[in-house]
Amino acid sequence: MISRRALELATAVLTGSFGIAVVVQSLDNGIGWSSAGVESGTFPFLTGVIIVLGSLYNLVRGVMPVASLANVPIAITPIELRRIASLFVPATAFVAAIPLIGMYLASAGYVFAVLAIPKHQSVPRALAMALATAIGLYVVFERMFQVSLPHGALAAAFGL
Amino acid sequence: MDNLSELLHGFTIAVTVPHLALMVVGVLLGILVGVLPGLGAPNGVSLLLPLTFGMQPVSAIILLSSMYWGALFGGSVTSILFNIPGEPSSVATTFDGYPMARDGRPTTALATAFGSAAFGALIGVILITFLASWVAQVALAFGPAEYFAVYFLAFASFVGMGGAAPIKTVVALAIGFAIAAIGIDTVSGSVRLTMGVDELVKGVNFVVAVMGLFGIGELLVAVEEEFHARAVSSKIDWREVFRAVGRLPRHSVALLRSAAIGCWMGITPGGPTAASFMSYGIARRFSRRGRYFGTGEVEGIISPETADHAAGTSALLPMLSLGIPGSATAAVMMGGLMIWGLNPGPMLFVDQKDFVWGLIASMYVGNIVAVALVLLTVPVFAALMRIPFVIIAPLIVIICVVGAYSVSNSYLDVVTMLGFGIVGYLFKKLFYPLAPLVLAIVIGDKAEDAFRQSMLMSKGSLGIFFANKLVTCLIVGGVALLLLPLVLQLARLLHKPAPPTNETTAQEKVII
Repeated sequence: MISRRALELATAVLTGSFGIAVVVQSLDNGIGWSSAGVESGTFPFLTGVIIVLGSLYNLVRGVMPVASLANVPIAITPIELRRIASLFVPATAFVAAIPLIGMYLASAGYVFAVLAIPKHQSVPRALAMALATAIGLYVVFERMFQVSLPHGALAAAFGL
Repeated sequence: MDNLSELLHGFTIAVTVPHLALMVVGVLLGILVGVLPGLGAPNGVSLLLPLTFGMQPVSAIILLSSMYWGALFGGSVTSILFNIPGEPSSVATTFDGYPMARDGRPTTALATAFGSAAFGALIGVILITFLASWVAQVALAFGPAEYFAVYFLAFASFVGMGGAAPIKTVVALAIGFAIAAIGIDTVSGSVRLTMGVDELVKGVNFVVAVMGLFGIGELLVAVEEEFHARAVSSKIDWREVFRAVGRLPRHSVALLRSAAIGCWMGITPGGPTAASFMSYGIARRFSRRGRYFGTGEVEGIISPETADHAAGTSALLPMLSLGIPGSATAAVMMGGLMIWGLNPGPMLFVDQKDFVWGLIASMYVGNIVAVALVLLTVPVFAALMRIPFVIIAPLIVIICVVGAYSVSNSYLDVVTMLGFGIVGYLFKKLFYPLAPLVLAIVIGDKAEDAFRQSMLMSKGSLGIFFANKLVTCLIVGGVALLLLPLVLQLARLLHKPAPPTNETTAQEKVII
């Protein structure tokens, strides 16, 4: 179970650290006024400072017990977390597999896995859908729009 | 009456067989992305964008804008029939649309929604017809300082009127600006904010951000709720359609008020979502039948729908005449304009008359096509909703992945897209607004350039932003909008000793 407060805090920390990274990086580009005009780091520096300050405010607001937030103390229940994971984890695995086995194999495997493993569909039907996805992608992108999707290291190893 | 003759010329461009065909295709694709949860107008338009590179700009914008109309209508279909908003901007339609449909009047609910939506869109287009070229004319005299002031006003109005928590809006905006700054700086040529990743030199494309924020992010929210598509009957009774549309004039006050709210929120970039919520809230407060709202009240459907479409349509006005998109989808379209080699802004009305007036004329025709098509295809798309979500979800993930990859054939973009997905989920969950983030990514560079050019002109003095009446007004107006939430909070504190927190925003309250 993740409370609304924890989620607010985590998000504020996330945005805040992005802001700090922006501030630090933009210092390399130089901030302020030079003979060539406003230096290139100035604008990002200012946005970074705004992000950090805003995140701090959100952080404090998130920590303080606020009446209206008490209405929704729980942001994500364990069941919801499991559902999110069941979508996001396979999606991440799919993206991670693309450089190795290519877009076509990866997407077919992804469709098959999410349909067949939790038994949403029978194995033959999941297999059919997986094949249809890969073929559909190939026809639409490689043939119709001439966009080459990544074939992966495996295909390269076979010299395809 | 110059505008009218230009408009007639526009019709000769828009009403041709290939363009009408593009409208039909665009609207149908739009309804599809509008109906499917997780795919919305911003995603749909970004997905189609790469396919338009070989087209004439007029044809391309007709296709993309028709898709936008289709998506706006499609979002209402699922809101009413399934109680599932297909688009964030049609959330407010579920409040009264679904109860009415559940009570056995789905046709009445749909026809009322489409009729008032068409009215809202019509008002928006008429506004564009008469106002856009005038605004552009004024804007032709703008220098960099005025431009920066207009950008500032646009971003400030998000903070002041967007409806989300102000500081969260500010953070979202600033993150957008920082993302826009990643890559090579157009003025000095130096590399910025790459965090040591060489591939980031090319910057972060807005399409990648949109795919993640709206696509994956929305999908995660949708899967978490695991909705059940318990549909009410989707059969259309045509006689009832005409009866319901015939009853609309009785609600002319609500229609006009909502259209006015919508146009205002579309032009000052508050966006359709904020417009529909605001319109619903105001209607509930002012209607004599306000306490029946939420049980299937006609004006509870009219108000959000009219405002939603009026805002969606008029969001194109500032995009065309100033180069400032009024909504996330308009921002994506504006990105398209820049890719096609057009320079959004007042010069369009001088250099690209065919493009501008062809688009405006197509908005009249496109909305009629959209109403007709959406009524005809309601049963088809309703059937689509019965496909289990577990099958649709992975397909949408694949579409987003391929879409992000095909922007510049880069694997890093896919990973970035997934990262944006997490951000989109967190932001949605915690009511950070997404539209300002996308807007800042698209026009962040332009705003920065305007600022730096004005600084060059004034040799580093901020006085240039107060050099003449116009720019002073714009800047003061922007500052006022920025301070508006603070003032409202202070006023509330003074009135009531026990301070109510304004952390829950209007939208949040409605949802809770």
